[in-house]
Amino acid sequence: MAKAENLLYLDGVSVSFDGFKALNNLSFLIGRNEMRAIIGPNGAGKTTMMDVITGKTRPDEGTLRFDGKIDLTAHDEAEIAGFGIGRKFQKPTVFENQSVRDNLKLALKAPRGPFATLFHRDDAAQRARIDELLATIRLRDRETDLAGDLSHGQKQWLEIGMLLAQDPELLLIDEPAAGMTDAETAATADLLREIARTHSVVVVEHDMTFVRALGVKVTVLHEGSVLAEGSLDHVSSDQKVIDVYLGR
Amino acid sequence: MLALTLLCAVFAGTVQAQSADDDLRARLNALASGGFDETQRQIDAIAATGDPRAAPALEALSEGDLYFRQSDTAVFIVRKEGSGYRLQDPLTLEDTGTAGRREVKKIRVNNRLRRAIRTALGTLTLRAPDPAARIEAADAIFKAQDVDSIEPLDAALAAETDTDVARHMREARAAAVLASDRPTQDKLEAIATIAARGDRDARSLLTGISNGPDTALHEAANAAIAKVERVQGLWDTARNIWFGLSLGSVLLLAAIGLAITFGVMGVINMAHGEMVMLGAYTTFVVQSLFRTAAPEYFDYSLIVALPAAFLVAGLVGIAIERGIIRFLHDRPLETLLATWGVSLILQQSVRTIFGPTNQEVGNPSFMSGAFEIGQLTITYNRLWIVVFALVVFTVLLVAMKATRFGLYVRAVTQNRRMSASMGIRTPLVDALTFGLGSGIAGIAGVALSQIDNVSPNLGQSYIIDSFMVVVFGGVGNLWGTLLGAFTLGIANKFLEPVAGAVLAKILVLVFIILFIQKRPRGLFALKGRAVDA
Amino acid sequence: MTLRFLSGGLTGGRIVMLALLVAAAILVPVLNLALPESHPLHVPTYAVTLMGKYLTYALLALALDLVWGYCGILSLGHAAFFALGGYAMGMYLMRQIGTRGVYGDPVLPDFMVFLNWQELPWYWYGFDAFPFAMLIALAAPGLLAFIFGWFAFRSRVTGVYLSIITQAMTYALLLAFFRNDMGFGGNNGLTDFKDILGFDIQSDATRAGLFAASALALAGGLVIAVAITASKLGKVLIAVRDAESRTRFLGYRVEHYKLFVWTVSAMMAGLAGALYVPQVGIINPGEFAPANSIEAVIWVAVGGRGTLVGPIIGAVLVNFAKSWFTAALPEFWLFALGGLFVFVTLFLPKGIVGLAKSAVQRLRRMREPQTPGRETKTPREMAAARPSEQAAE
Repeated sequence: MAKAENLLYLDGVSVSFDGFKALNNLSFLIGRNEMRAIIGPNGAGKTTMMDVITGKTRPDEGTLRFDGKIDLTAHDEAEIAGFGIGRKFQKPTVFENQSVRDNLKLALKAPRGPFATLFHRDDAAQRARIDELLATIRLRDRETDLAGDLSHGQKQWLEIGMLLAQDPELLLIDEPAAGMTDAETAATADLLREIARTHSVVVVEHDMTFVRALGVKVTVLHEGSVLAEGSLDHVSSDQKVIDVYLGR
Repeated sequence: MLALTLLCAVFAGTVQAQSADDDLRARLNALASGGFDETQRQIDAIAATGDPRAAPALEALSEGDLYFRQSDTAVFIVRKEGSGYRLQDPLTLEDTGTAGRREVKKIRVNNRLRRAIRTALGTLTLRAPDPAARIEAADAIFKAQDVDSIEPLDAALAAETDTDVARHMREARAAAVLASDRPTQDKLEAIATIAARGDRDARSLLTGISNGPDTALHEAANAAIAKVERVQGLWDTARNIWFGLSLGSVLLLAAIGLAITFGVMGVINMAHGEMVMLGAYTTFVVQSLFRTAAPEYFDYSLIVALPAAFLVAGLVGIAIERGIIRFLHDRPLETLLATWGVSLILQQSVRTIFGPTNQEVGNPSFMSGAFEIGQLTITYNRLWIVVFALVVFTVLLVAMKATRFGLYVRAVTQNRRMSASMGIRTPLVDALTFGLGSGIAGIAGVALSQIDNVSPNLGQSYIIDSFMVVVFGGVGNLWGTLLGAFTLGIANKFLEPVAGAVLAKILVLVFIILFIQKRPRGLFALKGRAVDA
Repeated sequence: MTLRFLSGGLTGGRIVMLALLVAAAILVPVLNLALPESHPLHVPTYAVTLMGKYLTYALLALALDLVWGYCGILSLGHAAFFALGGYAMGMYLMRQIGTRGVYGDPVLPDFMVFLNWQELPWYWYGFDAFPFAMLIALAAPGLLAFIFGWFAFRSRVTGVYLSIITQAMTYALLLAFFRNDMGFGGNNGLTDFKDILGFDIQSDATRAGLFAASALALAGGLVIAVAITASKLGKVLIAVRDAESRTRFLGYRVEHYKLFVWTVSAMMAGLAGALYVPQVGIINPGEFAPANSIEAVIWVAVGGRGTLVGPIIGAVLVNFAKSWFTAALPEFWLFALGGLFVFVTLFLPKGIVGLAKSAVQRLRRMREPQTPGRETKTPREMAAARPSEQAAE
């Protein structure tokens, strides 16, 4: 496999915290330029899955490969980010004490070493890219404001903007529509579909309207492993899924 | 019938004692007549009675203070008084009046007799009714390696019923044998006996043999020395463990309150050491009150001091939490600074009130003194503090497991936000936890007042070590604190003989700094997604 | 070269502070040396030395602010770096004594003769040369910080844990330097200095020179701090401070950034210590005491952390107060200091400078209510004033 067909490959991944199995023999694949929605009840292991992929949590066992050859279990968060995996958190996490522009500048793809940043100087191309991103996330007129002064929805957008600035191959997005108005939710879905043309995207979401709007393959997680996979209509007619969501 | 038998037995006993008394007195009186040879025979006979009451008379004879009355050849111990003598009964030591210079005559002794007397005296003390006196006599012979005592020892051993005393006597005999010109076989046995004793004295005695002229004994002596050293190594280890446990229990007392507050609130109370100090000063105040009001109940002062110290330190702790720390919620680093400020104020307050010098805190009688296990001396105050620390630990453990408050504390430790949303009043839990942690520091102060100087700086000397225990043991688990405290205590004491006290401390600090590389959250860390940032 | 970096960071207050420091470096020596004692503008030598000492404290505070105010690492052990720099200078000064010591040994310092040492330990070699001593004054704290930081940051020891460990570090050094066989004078430390670079250390001119050197070193430190904090690296540092985990997920190796600023800060503290020792005339293990490190933290807090100018003001103010108290009301100093710790953390979290800043901002907003938030010209300064505890989740 020269250029792997599957960008992300999880096989038999298990994680336990003091006996509690957060992930239990979890396996799935994400293709190149694929967008996938992950749903599941609370405690299904969605966030732990992201933690494992991004190097925050080490799996107890299992295989985790990125781009065919990179063993993600052997690297830490910064290295994994360097390989091209970006992550947006459930609770919008931006640098609240820095301006919107500086947030994007920090995320922008550029050498990440301390000496590189010490002697860094913005060039025209970078400035232009940040302007472009500001337009995309509709924060042009707020660029000098502190990120902490933004509304909740704007912070979500800023974080998506930061994710784009990183220009990763794979984007892991945790509940992007949480706390957004309907209009914002729709716009976010549009934005994600746009992004998915050139990137692989994994979206974790509770909001079924949003998932439907994305119109992509859905993976249902339950108790740390895959319960069902397929189109939203397919999985929502699956009896196991109905039991999990409604039965308990 | 029974009464009659009893009466007879008592009568017989009295008669027996009476006859023994008369017999001894007759022998003493016999010292007055005859030449040196005759006197020696009498001395040996007295020694053979094994009656320790003869000892003062024999001593007086050796010193030349034993006289007999010319009129009836009764023997007395005399003391010069004016131009005459004051007489003392040689057995009962009662004053029996005075005598003129002409009325009494000294019983003469020569060097041969003096030696005989010394041997006889050794024999007599070896037969003393008090086992401690017998052991003392045996040990004296051991140290002196008195060759003349071998036979009396043999005689005493034959009569000895107390195994412990017998062991001391055998060791004394062995030491004497080694100094004598007895055959090599006897000496080899003696070496074995002494090797079994296994202490420092045995070692130096054996070293003397291994340097001596008899080559046959060298090998045995060297082997014995090796054995003694092995035994001593074991005792040294035991001693280090004991001192380590002692230090560990102090660290446990000082750190456990810190660990609880750190676990629940994520803040380190830099004034924790001052809570210990307040506890020690509370002890001082309570004892002062006892001294003036009820000195006869002084032994109970600590029992009063414990709850008092718990209350004083606990209330100060709650005041700190309510007055300062709750306003610094989610700012743990600032809490370090604010509580440091509090510690400065508390130190200076105590210095202003009580003065900068050490205060005298007494040990109640049950905490004074020491006892020995083999070669290990254990002082009661240290022992009680180990026991006390373990009791405090157990009570706390039970409180955390079995009470509702403990449940709340554990819940808040694991997930504050969740606990709050489940209706646990986290501010109350915070305040009570802080009070509890500080209160425990207070009773730690009571314990520390028994072994350390009570001064305004008392807390400072323990605080960094307590931090290390918490960092090493991890938070949220009392067992971690227990293990951390005892590990650090014992490690310190094992390093001390090798590296010296200061270097040992440095090494332990460096070890902890390296340790948290491997386990950044201590030995027993909470795991999972809840523990983050 | 440097100017390029400074472009964004030289705000009004910083320019004023730099100008003040340079002016003081020139004027104070002149007012001390050139004017007769009777002149009303004459600055007495004791005051020159006292101010020089304050300036070295200010440099220590600035170094501490760099790690605490900008990177969120609360060091309770920065006095260790300060003292190490001080010892390096002290060793140079000891070697300069030569045969003028009590025992008159040309090579061995008095305490070594007293301990019956026959020759100079290897680690004393080279300290007769001033440049070497100065190199070590920077390198020793730098190296210690690098090794310590490499271990600590790699294993992600943060927050309260890290603070406690830094305190343990300085405590371990305190104990070590108390030992006579360490070869640093034990309990008594290094003292009885005679001259520095051939100048009598007691003379007015030397004192004035040391003051000027301290003022210029502080100015230099300020320039370096401005350059660091105004660069993109500075923004990464603030990102680490506010949301460490998030910064990692952006691909930054947080431990490298921390290690960089930690080591730079330690070297700055070492320089401060090296300038401090010839002015106070002694260095002993007491400088390693954990209390000293924590006191330095309060200077930063009083002035305003994350503001660069703040720590300088804080260090001078608090130490001025200390000098006044210990002379006038010695028994109340610890009450005042303790109260200061509590007061500042509770009521003045932004420090004096932070307070002044928000006051200015409020005034401006009142004048132009239509554009709220637009006035924040230097976000990172605001930032420092209100650190948020952002978990990455």
